[in-house]
Amino acid sequence: MSEVLDPPPPAAAEAPRRPARPARAIAIGVAVLVALFIVIAAAVKGGVKETAETPLLGLPAPVVQTTTIDGSPFDLASRRGSWVVLNFFSTWCRPCVEEHPELVRFAAAEAARPEGAELYSVIFNDDTDKVESFFADRGGAWPKLTDPDGQVQVAFGVAKSPETWIIDPAGVVRARMISTVTDESLTELLDGLRSGLVPGS
Amino acid sequence: MSAQVARSRAAWLALALIAIVALAVGVSRTGGARTPEERIDAVARTIRCPVCPAESVYESRNSVALNVKAEIARLIRSGQTDDQIRAGLAARYGDDVLLVPSTRGIDALVWVLPVALLVACVAGLVVAFRRWRRASDVGPPTEADRALVARALRPDSGSDP
Amino acid sequence: MNGALGMAGIALGLAASVLGGVTLVVGLAKHRLRLVRSGTVYVWLVLAGAVLAVIAMERALITRDFSLSYVAEVGSSRTPALYNVASLWSALDGSILLWTIILALYLAATLLWFRRRLSDPLVTWALVVLFAISTFFFLLLAGPANPFGAVSGAIPLDGPGPNPLLQNHPLMVIHPPMLYLGYVGFSVPFAFAIGGLITGRVGEGWLLDTRRWTLFAWGFLSAGIVLGAWWSYEVLGWGGVWGWDPVENASLLPWLTGTAFIHSVLVQERRGMLRVWNLSLLAATFCLTILGTFLTRSGVIESVHAFSDGPIGVYLLMFFALAAGTSIGLIGWRGDRLRSPGSIDSPLSREGAFLANNVLFALFAFVVLLGTVFPLVVEALQDRRLSVGRPFFDRMTTPLGLALLTLMAIAPVLPWRKASAELLRHRLFWPACLGVACVVVPVLLGADGLAPLLAFGLGGFAAGSALRQLVLATRRQGWRGLVGRANGGMVVHVGVIIIAVALAAQTSYQRSGEFRLSPGETATFGGHRFTLLDQVREDTPAAVVLKARIRIDDGPVHAPARQQFKGRGDIVATPSVRTGLAEDVYLTLLKPSTEDDARVTFGVRLMPLSLWLWTGGALMAVGTVLAAFPGRRRRPTDPASAPIMSRPADEVAARQDEAEADLVAVPRLGGADV
Repeated sequence: MSEVLDPPPPAAAEAPRRPARPARAIAIGVAVLVALFIVIAAAVKGGVKETAETPLLGLPAPVVQTTTIDGSPFDLASRRGSWVVLNFFSTWCRPCVEEHPELVRFAAAEAARPEGAELYSVIFNDDTDKVESFFADRGGAWPKLTDPDGQVQVAFGVAKSPETWIIDPAGVVRARMISTVTDESLTELLDGLRSGLVPGS
Repeated sequence: MSAQVARSRAAWLALALIAIVALAVGVSRTGGARTPEERIDAVARTIRCPVCPAESVYESRNSVALNVKAEIARLIRSGQTDDQIRAGLAARYGDDVLLVPSTRGIDALVWVLPVALLVACVAGLVVAFRRWRRASDVGPPTEADRALVARALRPDSGSDP
Repeated sequence: MNGALGMAGIALGLAASVLGGVTLVVGLAKHRLRLVRSGTVYVWLVLAGAVLAVIAMERALITRDFSLSYVAEVGSSRTPALYNVASLWSALDGSILLWTIILALYLAATLLWFRRRLSDPLVTWALVVLFAISTFFFLLLAGPANPFGAVSGAIPLDGPGPNPLLQNHPLMVIHPPMLYLGYVGFSVPFAFAIGGLITGRVGEGWLLDTRRWTLFAWGFLSAGIVLGAWWSYEVLGWGGVWGWDPVENASLLPWLTGTAFIHSVLVQERRGMLRVWNLSLLAATFCLTILGTFLTRSGVIESVHAFSDGPIGVYLLMFFALAAGTSIGLIGWRGDRLRSPGSIDSPLSREGAFLANNVLFALFAFVVLLGTVFPLVVEALQDRRLSVGRPFFDRMTTPLGLALLTLMAIAPVLPWRKASAELLRHRLFWPACLGVACVVVPVLLGADGLAPLLAFGLGGFAAGSALRQLVLATRRQGWRGLVGRANGGMVVHVGVIIIAVALAAQTSYQRSGEFRLSPGETATFGGHRFTLLDQVREDTPAAVVLKARIRIDDGPVHAPARQQFKGRGDIVATPSVRTGLAEDVYLTLLKPSTEDDARVTFGVRLMPLSLWLWTGGALMAVGTVLAAFPGRRRRPTDPASAPIMSRPADEVAARQDEAEADLVAVPRLGGADV
């Protein structure tokens, strides 16, 4: 700044002034920025990353008041006292179809044990007719919950099927699993939660 | 100041007045409470469709986006403010459903950096123009300058500068 | 057969690029002109290789040779011939092939254009740079983006066809080649810029050589962007033309820096200043085309237009690093020696306006780049995802756009060197009247909102300024008043202004509604009546098409459709648009009727001034051609402020200074400029 405020020096004094190299200085600055950017671009993997984290973990589950596919009312709050597993499902999603036999096995095993978890399928953007015939073909007698307008999926923040959520007897969200589950992984996680070993996944 | 200049000034003043009045009329029309539909659209434009990148739920026809839009409508009916709705959706779907970056923490950089660059550019130009102006008015002629001119004039200098 | 032919073409192109580059460098180093001349033969071999590869690929596509994985990926026996030919660029590998052939064509054109000046090291270095770029692209084709790979396993009998979005509108046939002609076209001025830095000759010579190339590349890029917006409007069905998607931003970035260059280069020509800055702009433009390709082809950024992700990202990033590193290194090394000593007397002058223009365009490019890559930066630093979307870009670019419109109003009437307030008052009066009229009339018609009204007013102001110059120039020179850089540039300005006004109107005044009707029912929306007639089903070889026939205002019948493509099973909604001068009625079929439910759900969007967008784009293209048309110009050896008699014909503004000298006193300085 002093340069500007100084009285203008005589013309002759300008010539031998210290050579300023703004181009070099700016080039170095830009080079550093570009290099940083390249490092960042190379480091970032990109693509859609799916995390099973949800801010709902450890909080009371959202209100779910809907009907089952055969018309009887369902209220999640009335299921307090038992472990609830919600599986978001659609017939058009291939992983959902793939994991279906695992869920059938899981449901059978839970039904057989005392205080076993209750499994519910939440229909995710699909026609009830299709879901009905799917279950008729492939088995699975647990209740299927309709989700008109996607209220349930939005309440849980589910963007893609399948997703599986575990809600404990106190009505608190304990786990969220994105994409397919197996009978084994689900049982293991549920047992861990039951015995209090796993504070939540 | 000639009459012509005065006339031109008056004409500009009149133009400016007309423009300001027209703008004021136009802007005043936008006031007033927004309808719920306008609010739904406005919020929907700031929420990313959770499954389709770079599209808002306002634009997207994906069923998930339609569901989110229906939820926005429900929340507006239930009396939540726009910011509450946005915060609620971000809490469920993650912060990256918000299309407008926040102004907290590192996110604020995306707002601040362009302004900083603007300030830097303007400052640079101001400095440059000052320097250029200083370079162009060289001050009173020195003895050396006079000698130079005298030397240049001594031989027959008929040519144009 | 096709695969072997294509691979042979790629091998030929790769070898010729390497050998050509090496020969020219050796020739330069040893000062052997004969070696340089023989090196140029490789240009034709590069072209032959690229042509061979393209012919092989087209042959494979046309004969449905599903033994090639690329054809198996995008080809289909059901695709209509036109889209089948165009499916060359409907996926990643093919698009690189398109890039390569265009580059080879530019390389050959450069050689032809400069064939008499091969002894000039600047030209030779430029050819070396172009050889280096083509080496890279042939390497991509030979390795990570090889379109001639054999299909693994059994040869399929049929393929899925190209992405459905790319095969239901003819615009898709011309949009990508236009865009690529623009992207790749910037390679030529970039090559000359690098050549100038290497040889140390950054005087005005190389500029005159490449200015028209830059203009053509810029024109193609502009046309490509507008056509892309049009395609998205006609095909994607979301009713918009610009979504600030990363792929769109990638095309806008080089356009912004290229536009800045086209303006600031005039200051260099006229005053000899801004040499290093102009070189930097050219380098930035080229690097941004590569960066954009990296961002959109590597999968690091999510995009609606997700092209593909694959191993190609690393290569593009390395090439970007190489290009940016070379440019920055050369500028840092040479820059300070090449700076010119000139000075600008007054901010209120033509050159001052160009500086402001450059600041605004640089800022604009920075905002777009920052918004595009910011999610990457945050993810790398904090492992957290965030989105920067349309609301951010709209909010940040609106003031920049308004500032640019203001500048477009004032700059064309400014003389070089220095202007007075009186001169501006005089010259801007009628443009300002037009601007005020453009606020008053919409307000009388019921328009509201500050930003759109400002855009209309400033747009009218800027258009008035451009028209003033065109009127004065044609009055003076007849039809020649429309050609040449300054006048053609004003035609481009008018086109840009029309687009800006239309965008402002669309952002603020677009309305949408959704209706569910049974056949025979009528709905009203925004003063229009929509009567659902029926729903029809058509079977084409490629798709099953459901069309809802809707009568608008008891007039013509429009049929928004839903196509289910047989190959991929994708469902694509195709909107139907009733085009109007002031407003488009844009219909989309949201939910067709089913056997159980005869009701059809359709969306209506009222889009103001859509037609203006395409008109503005066409004007930009026309203006670019007019600007490239050689006007009577100043001999380059004349001093910039030579006496009036030798003033260039196309620098009308400069002559107007004289014409209006009796009205205002403008200081007119003679003497040496540079």
